[in-house]
Amino acid sequence: MTLPGLGLGDGPGVAPAARRGALPPCTPHQEAAASWTSVSLTLSEGGALPPPSDSVENSWRGPGGATPPGGGAGAAPPQATSAAPRRHLALALPRLPVDRLRRGGVQGPVVVWRGVGSRREVVLAGDLPGVCPGQALSDVRAMVPEAVVVEWDQAADAAWREELALWALRFSPLVALAGGDALVLDVTGVAHLFGGEAALLGRAVGGLARLGAGAVGVVADAPAAALALARAGRGGLVVAPGGDAAAVAELPLSVLPVAPEVVVALSRMGLRRLGEVRRQPRAPLARRFGQALLRALDEAAGELCAPISPLRPPPELEAAREFLEPLITREAIDVAVAALLGALCRRLEAAGRGARRVVLRAHRVDGRVQELAVGTGLAVRDPAHLGRLFEQRLERLEPGFGFDRIALLAEATERMAGVQSGFAGGGMQAGVAGGAGALRREELARLFDRLGQRVQLWRLAPATRHWPEREVRRVAATEPVAVPAGWPRAPRPVRLLRRPVELGAMALLPDAPPSLLRIGRDSHRVRAAEGPERLEPEWWRPSPPRRARDYYRVELASGARLWVCRVGFGAEARWFLHGYL
Amino acid sequence: MDTDPNPYPLPPEPLPMDRPALMAALRARIGRLERAGAAAALARAQAGVVELSEAIDAALPGGGLARAGLHEVLAADPGAAAGFAAVVLGRAGGTVMWIGPEPDAWPPGLARFGLSPAELVLVRAPRPADGLWAMEEALRCAAVAGALLCLPDLDLTAARRLQLAAEAGGGIGLLLRPDTAETGPSAALTRWRVGALPGAGGSAHSLSDPRWELELLRCRGGKPRRWDATWRTTLDRLETDPEPQASPARRRRA
Repeated sequence: MTLPGLGLGDGPGVAPAARRGALPPCTPHQEAAASWTSVSLTLSEGGALPPPSDSVENSWRGPGGATPPGGGAGAAPPQATSAAPRRHLALALPRLPVDRLRRGGVQGPVVVWRGVGSRREVVLAGDLPGVCPGQALSDVRAMVPEAVVVEWDQAADAAWREELALWALRFSPLVALAGGDALVLDVTGVAHLFGGEAALLGRAVGGLARLGAGAVGVVADAPAAALALARAGRGGLVVAPGGDAAAVAELPLSVLPVAPEVVVALSRMGLRRLGEVRRQPRAPLARRFGQALLRALDEAAGELCAPISPLRPPPELEAAREFLEPLITREAIDVAVAALLGALCRRLEAAGRGARRVVLRAHRVDGRVQELAVGTGLAVRDPAHLGRLFEQRLERLEPGFGFDRIALLAEATERMAGVQSGFAGGGMQAGVAGGAGALRREELARLFDRLGQRVQLWRLAPATRHWPEREVRRVAATEPVAVPAGWPRAPRPVRLLRRPVELGAMALLPDAPPSLLRIGRDSHRVRAAEGPERLEPEWWRPSPPRRARDYYRVELASGARLWVCRVGFGAEARWFLHGYL
Repeated sequence: MDTDPNPYPLPPEPLPMDRPALMAALRARIGRLERAGAAAALARAQAGVVELSEAIDAALPGGGLARAGLHEVLAADPGAAAGFAAVVLGRAGGTVMWIGPEPDAWPPGLARFGLSPAELVLVRAPRPADGLWAMEEALRCAAVAGALLCLPDLDLTAARRLQLAAEAGGGIGLLLRPDTAETGPSAALTRWRVGALPGAGGSAHSLSDPRWELELLRCRGGKPRRWDATWRTTLDRLETDPEPQASPARRRRA
């Protein structure tokens, strides 16, 4: 199979997200649906030249896409593709439970069963010609005593299916789980990267087979149509655009995602195929079997397009590489990540955007996928800075037998033009001073990003609340903090204890300020005490019931200043040390 | 004129002799060779100082608490030491970072000592190694005006690293340590002990401006001294008591 040698630098793959606002709602998927592959790791820039732009433009439109007259290299591809139907690849995994056991090393005849009430029935059998799903387990045991009998582990199957779905992200960024036994990929606009839809289909099925999962793949317009054909076992079929309704007409009703009773009832009327049911008048069908049947029929025929819900959100920009030789050593991974970062940042620059969140997705040879994510405080497109952020994270990768694909995805991006301005202090300065301030802010943001990889950091911004612990609230370190005039209202300590220390106190009168404080075993005479400042709890907020506090600023004979409070009155008063100075 | 027959050309001679530039370059080069001396002094001279008060500045080399350097503050009283640190950091003029295992700095109170919440970033580093790393990164960053690390103990190597980082970045570094008996040698430029003094004036029902006992225990290029100082909250000024304090020994004799 030959792949188009798209290198890393192919710019037109993804349109700038800025253009997205003016497009029909379905286009973001379309834009992101391009994936970039190259068959070897070449670091020379010469190997990363973009292909001729109109070939990319043409393939962008996908099969059947109408070419607008005069649409040169500058035409926006998404607008051209929005007229074309979307294309979906469905991969049914009918033998998933048995394949998983085979992968675990189970040989010979296998029966997977599940309990239905008090009955044990067969879910799936491997290497047992006479056994079909739904049969009683005891019958099978009598027929084939030597078969390995395993209870169905649905959770493990689901986990493996998700793993396979992550593996399939190499073909398209939009991969969804469908039903209990299938994957659906939105392959609109990506098939040309693999040499056409048939080649893509073959590669996906072949790759799954190498991972030990037998799959039936079908490409069609509507996801439900592709799924129905795949469940019916029409493996390798590529339905021409617009041909969904004809392709599914001959399928049995059992491939539809409807209740089995409905299928039985329809077959009693002699309606066994999709086309036969679709020829019936709709109103009686809806009255008898509900709207769900009609919807399932319409979706399968491609007349209703239900969107798929992707497993991972599609990235705004992506750079990926596939490697013929799996990468195992840290040096090789470093080199690959550096090259990908360079490519991603060039793309960000072309789009006029900076990344706020970058995810590294490493596909292992054995089908596992590992992900690392870094977030930044400001939009970034400096490869060196992102590289530093990833440097420590890369230690967490477990290469095992090596990675055969590494992708870098910018999941969240922001508009970014030249030097960022107006971040922390506002745009008070102008000209050169403003430029220097912006540079300084950028440098600070980078420092915060670096620190944020290992430690927590935050700013405390004044809040309009009077309860002492809530007088400030945590905000991100990169966020600007405005200080209102006349803040704080009253003297406050410079250090506030997270856990107040209980004190012993003696006062001359029940309501008088303390004249002696006992901290631990030591007694301290109070030289002066200012207060009380009574703070009532915030009754208008749904917080646990609190009691009013009387705060005193006291100075001990030694000169030490404390912020103490009394909770409760009279005999049940308790004293706490809440802060210093 | 590009054809040079000599296969081993001499290095080109700088035609116009720029003596001051040459001297500066040589000085910087010598300074780099011996990090402890000239380079540090050069870096400090360029970075400037943080001024505290007239009397204290006069006793410090360079006329104030040197930026691009590390200073140790022993907290005889936690509140007074935090207030003193806030004064220094607030006058550093820029973003400052407060790093500790559980940073309990409270901006409503620190604002009274000239440290605005707009400038303060708190960093929580539960492990000492993380704290030291964060401090070093912060000091190395030229956009950070100052950084404070709360740490019970520090070895000489780590302190030296922090000092070098501060020289590289140009910010002022503070180490806030509890006042324990064993405070060994340090690579910091100065070491202070900050304690509380009973307020002068005020009544039993109102507190006057806070008073601190500032002891300069060690100072590179200066002498140990001691001041009694008052922080004038309304004036944003640190005032030392007018007459210089007698040394503790003489006071005891008197």
